[in-house]
Amino acid sequence: MFCRNQRSRVTVARGSALEMEIRRGRCRLSLLADSPQDTEIQRKMERELRLREGACKLLAACSRREQALEAAKSLLVCNSRVLAYMAELQRRKEAQVLRRTARRPSDAGPTDERLPCRGTVCISDLRIPLMWKDTEYFRNKGELHRCAVFCLLQLGAEIHDTPMVLVDRTLTDICFESAVLFSEAGPDFELKVELYSAGLAGGSAQGSTPRKLATRLSTSLGRSSGKRVRAAMDGAPGSPPGNGGTSPLLLPAPSVPGPKFHLLAHAVLSLAEVQDGFRTHDLAIASNEESSFWLPLYGSMCCRLAAQPRCMAAPVTSGFLRLQPGAEAQSGARLYCVLRGTDLLCYHDPGEAEAGLEPALTIAVNKETRIRAAEREGRGQPHGMAVTNRYGGEEVTHTLLAESRAEAQRWMEAFWQHFYDMSQWKQCCDELMRIEVPPPRRPPAMLPRQGSLYHEMAIDPSDDIEAVTDILTQRAGGRVPGTPPWLSLFEEPPLHATPSGRATSPSPPARRPWGRPRTLSLDAKLSTLKGRGARRAAPPQHPLPHGSSSSSSGSSSPAMEHDHPGPLQSQV
Amino acid sequence: SYFIFFSFQQRIEIHKLRQGDNLILGFSIGGGIDQDPAQNPFSEDKTDKGIYVTRVTEGGPAEVAGLQIGDKIMQVNGWDMTMVTHDQARKRLTKRNEEVVRLLVTRQSLQKAVQQSMMS
Repeated sequence: MFCRNQRSRVTVARGSALEMEIRRGRCRLSLLADSPQDTEIQRKMERELRLREGACKLLAACSRREQALEAAKSLLVCNSRVLAYMAELQRRKEAQVLRRTARRPSDAGPTDERLPCRGTVCISDLRIPLMWKDTEYFRNKGELHRCAVFCLLQLGAEIHDTPMVLVDRTLTDICFESAVLFSEAGPDFELKVELYSAGLAGGSAQGSTPRKLATRLSTSLGRSSGKRVRAAMDGAPGSPPGNGGTSPLLLPAPSVPGPKFHLLAHAVLSLAEVQDGFRTHDLAIASNEESSFWLPLYGSMCCRLAAQPRCMAAPVTSGFLRLQPGAEAQSGARLYCVLRGTDLLCYHDPGEAEAGLEPALTIAVNKETRIRAAEREGRGQPHGMAVTNRYGGEEVTHTLLAESRAEAQRWMEAFWQHFYDMSQWKQCCDELMRIEVPPPRRPPAMLPRQGSLYHEMAIDPSDDIEAVTDILTQRAGGRVPGTPPWLSLFEEPPLHATPSGRATSPSPPARRPWGRPRTLSLDAKLSTLKGRGARRAAPPQHPLPHGSSSSSSGSSSPAMEHDHPGPLQSQV
Repeated sequence: SYFIFFSFQQRIEIHKLRQGDNLILGFSIGGGIDQDPAQNPFSEDKTDKGIYVTRVTEGGPAEVAGLQIGDKIMQVNGWDMTMVTHDQARKRLTKRNEEVVRLLVTRQSLQKAVQQSMMS
């Protein structure tokens, strides 16, 4: 439904309201990916969606709990990132629209507003204390209440996740030590810290492998057995949904199976919380004792939140200035000056600055410093700056002359910007805060491997295949006399041809001793599942011959492919 | 259930490649108001009679410019391509005096995936 002259439309919702809009119903977002930054976000979003698909597939196929938890975590992280990117694009679109409509001559004020410099924000040594009491919270006495937790850290459209930690009564604090950096923060940043948790009951409720396999098999049978088993299971609790009975039941449920993470607590940190040291912050707790994912949080969180604005971390500007002779009897030397952080460093030449030697002169440039333009004697044109600081009880002024009027203006502008940055970044400009760049974290191998889904269905040697068949037999309401219980499962070949064209498997003869838990039919069925997944992932391709040679004939007639049995196509 | 249609519009600038007497772009198109839209494997809406990219020659000018299979062509050098016959579309792309074509395309590859992502 793309109508002619479709332009980009902007919806009014933003941030979490956007999320609500999406969840409420149809929501159409049409975005013009014009600028390189928009294309960049689009690329990132496509990547997250691909990862998300991978995580879904893995979640549906894996049976080991740690794998399922990692996949569920990836899912949540990918979802959050997609929403963050969408909100960012939304925001940019709205800003663009506002800019276009805001050009009114009556608007007073400068057309270029001064913007504060960006900075790097670093959060590290996260510690969330727990408060286990002697009184029992949990109904199952004797069973250790465990949860898997991790944190999402979001600043702007950038979301980082911490590694996952398993928490039980033996842990007094949840700790995430490694540092997370955000490199394009403004002084008005909001760093959202969210703690997600998934309840882990004991082994049985989660779904042991035999149980999961039984569920998988009972919903993935061939046509006749499927009908039979389904007929036997109809009316039984937990029977899989029917779909008209003409085709085998496919993977169950529109929702993604497996463990699910829920928001347990969150906090929002901003510039006011930045400090070169540890601080405690309040946590807003999002659930209560009834939830399976609940943990007894003390209610606060400790961390180190540091920020390095660019104006402190890197040189703002540099150039040659001449120090006017003053009370210190300086000879009016020409100095190479570098404005950086809280100082103006003056060297004899650029080489010294580069070599990192001690500057010949250091003039403080901080919140207390006053700078005014210095004029060439009487001519009224700014030619330099007078920098006044108070040292103890004394006021000291250095007068620095630029080499031209343009240079003087450049320096003044640099100083104004620097003072503005310092006023915005506040305590971050008192002193440069130390930020350690963390070593790159090895990403968890969560993308679906090229190997077969077959290998994901790991069956422990300790899991007896009989456990599977016992469960199925119980569900079907009893044992067929005279035959092994599992025989009925393998009488029909799988319905779908596999993409590799693997032949359907013969059923094993009756009473054959069960050597390996993996059967031929199971193998074929699982590769069907894999094939189906692979087909979904790849875009449909028309099987056309490569026509690059056909246009070299030099004829003016178009290369229409009429002989191809499909819709008309033209090569251009 | 809820879903979201996500269509990214992209501007693609293709510099045609001279092959003998012809200027080629290196892709194939399907669709048109005189064609059967139900046969289009790339469209979300099976009544969509727009022009779609059905193939992209590897290493050709279109691929180099970033055109992708499945893209729907909305405009070519300002000419509308959403309400044209198949032949009109082909002609607008293969004008002999034009060495560069600027396409406005809609990329729909995200739609289904975004649908799923919003459902959990």
